Amino acid sequence: MDAVKEALREGRPVALFPDGEGVVLVAEVGRDVRVFHLGEGRRFPSLAAEFPAMDWWERALWERGYTPEGHPNPKPLRRHDLPFAFRAFKELHEVPVGPVHAGIIEPGHFRFSVLGERIVNLEIRLGYQHRGLLALLPGKGPEAALLLVERAGSEPLAHALAFAQAWEEALGRKAPPRAHALRRAALELERAFGHLGHLAGLFTDIGYAYGSTQVGRIRALLQGELDRLTGHRYGRNFLRVGGVWREGRPDLSALALYREELARLLPRLLKHPQVLDRMRYVGVVRRVEAEALGFVGPTARASGVARDLRQDDPAYLSFQPVVRQGGDVLARAQVYAEETLQALDYALHFLTHLPEGPLAQDLPPGDGEAMARVEAGRGEVFWFVRVAGGKVALAEGVDPSFKNWRALELAVRGEGLPDFPLCNKSFDLSYAGNDL
Amino acid sequence: MSLMQTLRIGRLARSLEDLLRVPDHAFGYPLLRPEGLTEEAQEALLGLCPSGAFFREGRTFGLDLARCVGCGRCALARPEAVGEMKRLEVAVTRKEDLVQRVDLERGTFLDPGPPPPPRPELALPTLAFREVSAGDTGLADSEVALAGNPFNDMGRFGFSVVASPRHADALLVTGPVSRNMAEALRRTYEAVPEPKGVVAVGNEAISGGVFAGSPEVVGGVDRVVPVDVYVPGDPPRPGAILFGLLLLAGRVRQRLVGGVLR
Repeated sequence: MDAVKEALREGRPVALFPDGEGVVLVAEVGRDVRVFHLGEGRRFPSLAAEFPAMDWWERALWERGYTPEGHPNPKPLRRHDLPFAFRAFKELHEVPVGPVHAGIIEPGHFRFSVLGERIVNLEIRLGYQHRGLLALLPGKGPEAALLLVERAGSEPLAHALAFAQAWEEALGRKAPPRAHALRRAALELERAFGHLGHLAGLFTDIGYAYGSTQVGRIRALLQGELDRLTGHRYGRNFLRVGGVWREGRPDLSALALYREELARLLPRLLKHPQVLDRMRYVGVVRRVEAEALGFVGPTARASGVARDLRQDDPAYLSFQPVVRQGGDVLARAQVYAEETLQALDYALHFLTHLPEGPLAQDLPPGDGEAMARVEAGRGEVFWFVRVAGGKVALAEGVDPSFKNWRALELAVRGEGLPDFPLCNKSFDLSYAGNDL
Repeated sequence: MSLMQTLRIGRLARSLEDLLRVPDHAFGYPLLRPEGLTEEAQEALLGLCPSGAFFREGRTFGLDLARCVGCGRCALARPEAVGEMKRLEVAVTRKEDLVQRVDLERGTFLDPGPPPPPRPELALPTLAFREVSAGDTGLADSEVALAGNPFNDMGRFGFSVVASPRHADALLVTGPVSRNMAEALRRTYEAVPEPKGVVAVGNEAISGGVFAGSPEVVGGVDRVVPVDVYVPGDPPRPGAILFGLLLLAGRVRQRLVGGVLR
């Protein structure tokens, strides 16, 4: 237990999932991954009181029938058939929002406790997108499993990549070098496409029509290149276990042109007085909060946590994570803007240095288990798979959004209620990814 | 600078004809080739489709477009038995029109007869929509949002997305309808004033898609509220969604009958 506590003190949880009668905790310390097996008989000692990062993880297991012994406040995350009591404040006014929102976004419920216009507390209730995805995976072959995995969050390429890599490693195989480069090119295009979506949404939310239209225009053109590369506008049906299915021909000169246009446009947009006025010092997440709650991806990097899984990937030459110290909406927007350019640079690099060779190797049905992590646009995607006879025996995935949702609760504290959409968009988390 | 740039970029909106084409590099919708459906080809198709879109019932062999994820592996592996439809005019008012059925004795498609006409009370010059995501991964929602961007420009047809169901003429629903969203969807539908329509966007909204077997989803929008137009796709491209909205408004004729463009 001391080793577990030390790992959580020095690092952060990566995954917590049930395996038979016990649970498996995966933690990252520095750049190392440590795995712990906890509990037995569907009971395990709760760590949430000491490590708040563990709170949602243990609640997610609690509603799956595992008991975190000593959890201070177990209540459901995804299941709606169990009672759920919102934190109540006497004397404060409550504003319920959702699950159906005013914009075109996924469903979730937000319960604000406000004093006048100021948000004193926000409690998020999700689970509206719960589709029982993980329970459908056992028994599936690689292709049918990937169909589900591609729907585990709004970044299908990152999820499919992590799952395929876990499967390949479980069988002791590797995708051919050409597939490896194509996969990474597609992942970087997905990142740029997603980040530009967050930026366009931010500009929409502050009423900066010029910014949102210009960013949205380049984003739509970029999506066309992702479509050319993968044959799908979001990159589904592109990856397979063992490699990739196809190789399209994106227009490299067009990609370079969009990159140049963005390099001119984005810094200018982010210096606009209207943008600074609405985004600076708003929705702050402090570095200690980001570390204590185990946030990942741009959310953590905008709060000064210099961690990006691409640091560990030798395919990314001289990789430097994009970090900002502000922790506010503007810092996150700056991270999105700079990472977009970085992602396009790497995508162009991978596509112009494609190794020769086959697109995939056929994997025999085998046995084994492995886990893999991929830095998606929103942060760390995790997949664990146990393969038996070429079929999934156990699979568990974690979308980065699951780790980051509480950042929104912290960011809006003390802000005006009308700034909520702006704060929400600055994280732009996946609801389906959280609810699986 | 900004004005100069805007002038240089010029007009972005693409013609409807252009929007309704599947680009060359992408796979459209599969189309059975009755003449190539040998016993061996049928077995191969049933085995290779990862989403189980093919089926055999007695002496008919079929393909359910609402189960197809559009990977195109069937057309690659068995070009003699499966072709491709490169058009996005695939929205239908009747769910059966998404299923291709081939009579194996005669080697012809079964024709389910003319589809029902669109509802005349929704043939309005403008239509306001409220989007409800009910278990969708976020991509069909994204395509609905992109149908309003300067390239697709749904506003030119008088279509807009409004914030409240009270202001809407119709709902656009995505996702297989998770159990946890069924009640919210029902109440959103009740909040829309009459006359009202519902468009199910994407395969998951039509029949649950890859989530069809899950106990956590209802498995289709029409199990919760009545649906007027089904737009197949995974997710459907903005052009396909626009065609669905035009079909709801009665401004175009349904082209997909019995799963075949006619």
